[in-house]
Amino acid sequence: MKTQTIRSMLLKSTLLAGTFAASTLAASAQEVTIGVLVPLTGELGEFGKIVAGAVELGVAEVNAAGGTKCGMIRTVVADTGGNPEVGIREATKMIESEGAVAVVGPTSGVMVALVDLAKRTKTVIMSPYAGTITLNELGGDYVYRTVSSDLGDGAASGLWLSEKGYKRVAMLVQNEESTISPAQVAKDKLAASGIELTDYVIYNPGQPSYQAELVSVLANAPDAIYLAGGQESGVTVIKEATAGGFEGEWLFTADLAVPEIFDAVGAQYLNDRAFVEFADADSSLPEYKAFDALYQEKNGAEPGPFAANSFDMANLIALSLEKADACTGEGINAVIRDIADGGEAVSSFAAGKEAIAAGKDVNYEGASGPLAFDASGTPAGSYSIQQAKDGKWENVKFYPASAFE
Amino acid sequence: MNLVQLFLAVVMFGSLFSVLTLSLNLQYARGGMINFGTVAYFAAGAYAYAIVTQEPPSGLDQYLVGLHGPWWAGFLAAGVASMAFAVLTGWPTLRLRGEYLALTTFAFAEMLHSLLVNERRIGNGTVGLANVERPDPGSLGLPDAWAYAGAAFLLMLATALVFRRLLASPYGRAIDAVRDDETAAEAIGKDIARLRFEVFVISAVPIGFAGALYAMITTLVSPDLFTAEVTFFVWIALVLGGERTILGAVLGTMALVGFQELVRAFPFESVRAAEIAAAGEDIVTGILFILILRWQPFEAMVKRRAAA
Repeated sequence: MKTQTIRSMLLKSTLLAGTFAASTLAASAQEVTIGVLVPLTGELGEFGKIVAGAVELGVAEVNAAGGTKCGMIRTVVADTGGNPEVGIREATKMIESEGAVAVVGPTSGVMVALVDLAKRTKTVIMSPYAGTITLNELGGDYVYRTVSSDLGDGAASGLWLSEKGYKRVAMLVQNEESTISPAQVAKDKLAASGIELTDYVIYNPGQPSYQAELVSVLANAPDAIYLAGGQESGVTVIKEATAGGFEGEWLFTADLAVPEIFDAVGAQYLNDRAFVEFADADSSLPEYKAFDALYQEKNGAEPGPFAANSFDMANLIALSLEKADACTGEGINAVIRDIADGGEAVSSFAAGKEAIAAGKDVNYEGASGPLAFDASGTPAGSYSIQQAKDGKWENVKFYPASAFE
Repeated sequence: MNLVQLFLAVVMFGSLFSVLTLSLNLQYARGGMINFGTVAYFAAGAYAYAIVTQEPPSGLDQYLVGLHGPWWAGFLAAGVASMAFAVLTGWPTLRLRGEYLALTTFAFAEMLHSLLVNERRIGNGTVGLANVERPDPGSLGLPDAWAYAGAAFLLMLATALVFRRLLASPYGRAIDAVRDDETAAEAIGKDIARLRFEVFVISAVPIGFAGALYAMITTLVSPDLFTAEVTFFVWIALVLGGERTILGAVLGTMALVGFQELVRAFPFESVRAAEIAAAGEDIVTGILFILILRWQPFEAMVKRRAAA
């Protein structure tokens, strides 16, 4: 009896699987598949949802414009939880089973793990937020991103600190790749500008207190503290430094560029004294405004972090497919650089499709800014500095990509 | 869903983690030692492989040593590194019993993890070593997935055969004797401390090899990959499969990996569906564990086979 049930269950599931396989095969005739590989759970889950949502929005726009030469774009979505091993398993499945020609959305760690797979299977992988410096060396061929490298953040911070005219600066850096690499660049910039670095402390997150790290920092009474930390550790550090009598100014990195920080720390301790640096789309660009309007219309909310960069990925890949000789990852890889740079400027898939049909070269100007890829498949970034004013972050300085040339 | 793909993934990762479960089976079910630091030996192997095969540091790299050796040298080094770490951790701790040993091994694993995170000269700290070199099976005319699934399966088979031979020998009976009654074993002249130490070190070697293979498959070693979660995964697999038998250990691991793969095998075309599936996976996993632990189908299957 029992074996009978198991056998019938097995039979049923085999049939089911067969049907699934058959339906995928039938569907692939007039469709082209893009894998969306993001963390939907885990620490970066919130970012992953924004990215996946913006890619979906981009794909919907492409399909509304009649799809690409290779057919309508179909997405398959999978959760990595931020784990590279899961990322490899899921990406393999997307490529081998679903026939994905591109996989978009992996976070830094997953992206690095996928480089080999991407080159081997000739599939384009693209991330809207992997700033990791490892990709500065590995990226370029089949591996792209629509966000600038972490090093750019460091350059922007360094520029701000030296322009602000501080004499003595201390740096407190969380022990993570995404915080240490920009801090190193900022540190070099300080040295080049002749600013005295009173302390350079790398701390491990997750501690109940950072008094030990702060003792020497506060004793040297710097004009400003550069704090590259996560939201949890950052809040504790700020509170303890304030309690310890720190009266100088702050420069935070992107993780602290959220409004919650004012409630967590107390707005009165940050107002006028605190600044924050983060990679930012140039919101004055017409491309960004168009995207912003579209996003608000479809989702009824402001686009979150990296939404513009994610939207751009969908458009870049769709335009590349439109122009490519073949509907494959290899085809995309061959033309994507041309699509992103040089030719008639277009800011939407529909416009690009028209221009390509007319035999023109196109230059896709993204919602997140110009996307011309450098040798490592990375665009130059632009950055904003905001100041704490009345319990809110307000823009005080915008560094376009040209500021670092 | 592609059944060949599913099969390959289950064989590849199932066999790979089976090696860990088999070693744990030897340590725990036969040797009576509770090792809660399995991941450390796995990490030691993976890092050793990466360091031996990696090119010397350049550019932004912070690691000190990259020998750029051939893959087989890295593979051997992985076994040696894992063994060395077992000697290092086993020597001072094996006099401990039961949960005390469990705590100490867990602490050692956490220490290694912390060292890999903080000592950036070993493997770039949290960045890890990316683009790890691996042999190209294309020269043998094999697709990568088949080759690595095959390699993992062979490693598992070799581990199972060696362990079976070992345990079927008089040496294996001495190990059983020590586990069942230390005093009695000592009374008939068995050197308990040495036996325990030997089992601990021997069983670490395949874990190191598995670590090297894992590094080849993922082409990345970073502290993120080697958290206590791996240890728990292997323990769960061992419990699922039922202790004491080699077949049970393998079945438990295969079932666990197979289940993971099966849940993820269906393509989700919308973000919403993928989100629900991601949340649902944990719930289904939990329910399945309860069911399996209640009825222990794998253990029963193994026993039925043994009886037949």
